[in-house]
Amino acid sequence: MALCLPLLVCAPACRRDAQAPPAQAPKQSVRATLAQVNGSVSVKRATGDEWQAAVNGTTLYDDDKLRTERGSSAELHFPSGTVVVVSEDTLLGIAETRAAPGRPQADVTVLRGAVDATLDRPANQSLTVGTPAATVRAGREIVFQ
Amino acid sequence: MSRALTAALALLASAATAPPTPGGTVVRPGESLAQLAARTLGSEGAGPELLAFNHLEGAPAAGTQVQVPGPERARAVAAIGSARSAIGQSPPGSARTEAEARLAEAESLLARARYAEAAAQADGAWKLLAEARGERSHFAVAVEPDGRTRVAVREGVPVRVEAQGRARAVRAGETLTVVRGESPGTPQLDAGPAEPPILISPEPGLKLALEPAPGGLGPVRFAWKPVPDATGYVLELAGPRKQTLRTTQPVVTVPGLPAGKYRWTVRAVQGDGTLGPPATRAVQLVPGRIKLEVKETPWQ
Repeated sequence: MALCLPLLVCAPACRRDAQAPPAQAPKQSVRATLAQVNGSVSVKRATGDEWQAAVNGTTLYDDDKLRTERGSSAELHFPSGTVVVVSEDTLLGIAETRAAPGRPQADVTVLRGAVDATLDRPANQSLTVGTPAATVRAGREIVFQ
Repeated sequence: MSRALTAALALLASAATAPPTPGGTVVRPGESLAQLAARTLGSEGAGPELLAFNHLEGAPAAGTQVQVPGPERARAVAAIGSARSAIGQSPPGSARTEAEARLAEAESLLARARYAEAAAQADGAWKLLAEARGERSHFAVAVEPDGRTRVAVREGVPVRVEAQGRARAVRAGETLTVVRGESPGTPQLDAGPAEPPILISPEPGLKLALEPAPGGLGPVRFAWKPVPDATGYVLELAGPRKQTLRTTQPVVTVPGLPAGKYRWTVRAVQGDGTLGPPATRAVQLVPGRIKLEVKETPWQ
């Protein structure tokens, strides 16, 4: 019986492995979720070359890009609770974040256009907005390693 | 001039200059400790700190190799700058008093080259005030085609703008523009709409009796006066349903909302796409269906 148990436990997993597609890269953490998508808003994945139409609930990961056309807008909702309203005619990227555990942090890079950010609990949140000219840090900016 | 004030001015001067180059340097012939500190840390008053960092008792002789602190000092100086800015904006009270004490301790630790502890103390002071204020942070960033960046802080604690190794705190009501390749200048008072939208309806604190409608009760009409030069508006609903609506007109009609208490906030979208200051009101939605029963009259 003791010998059979591992086999019984293994059996379903082994069957799955036999039918599963080729192994994929580990799943990335969701950096932000899109909401209030209005008009023509598109996303380009870090791993892809094509712009794809975005909808409410589209999740964004490190190094993804977001673009809004004229007359369009969207909101980026970060897990920390930070909300960034993306105005029309804006191009931004989700920056790779290395936050310390328990310190919610969000980073975006705005290449063109405008964003409007709100941190409900700035004592416990932080947001960094990079641009071609400057870096803007809001909330609790010191992240101890 | 008091020692504390001198130290504070030295720190300010230090923070306002380019960050020191980490690594080592050699003391030049005839160079005083103050001159060495100014050259390496950007402040004549940082001599004792430089000695502490190098574990030296007195001013080093010419030709001596001294070590210069790196990013850990920059982090501590940044934290102290943020804490000082937050204290400057906070009203008198126990939180401010405690924050000032923590800031003084942070400055003392910095002077002893204990950078990680200094940063932690300053961060604690900042957090104390941010929590005491209980405000949210709201700011906008606009990037022009040439990369020029405009930062406008609408409300809450200051944000920090860094460029070319220099940093500036931008406070609520201020705007700072940074040209690509240049360091940040001086923040200006925001030239955006001076006043938030003037809300019209529903009236403040109104208990609104509404008919059942898809999604709850309705319709609910939100209206406000147009803001000059606004290209649109953002209406935020907070309550049993949280919702953000964008419109180009100073009025929004929501077909139905769940009953309950709401706070509704309106901001104007300005010409550069950023949002102006908010105006907020409360309203309560209650079922108000009026049941009409027409009885047969006995009259002939």
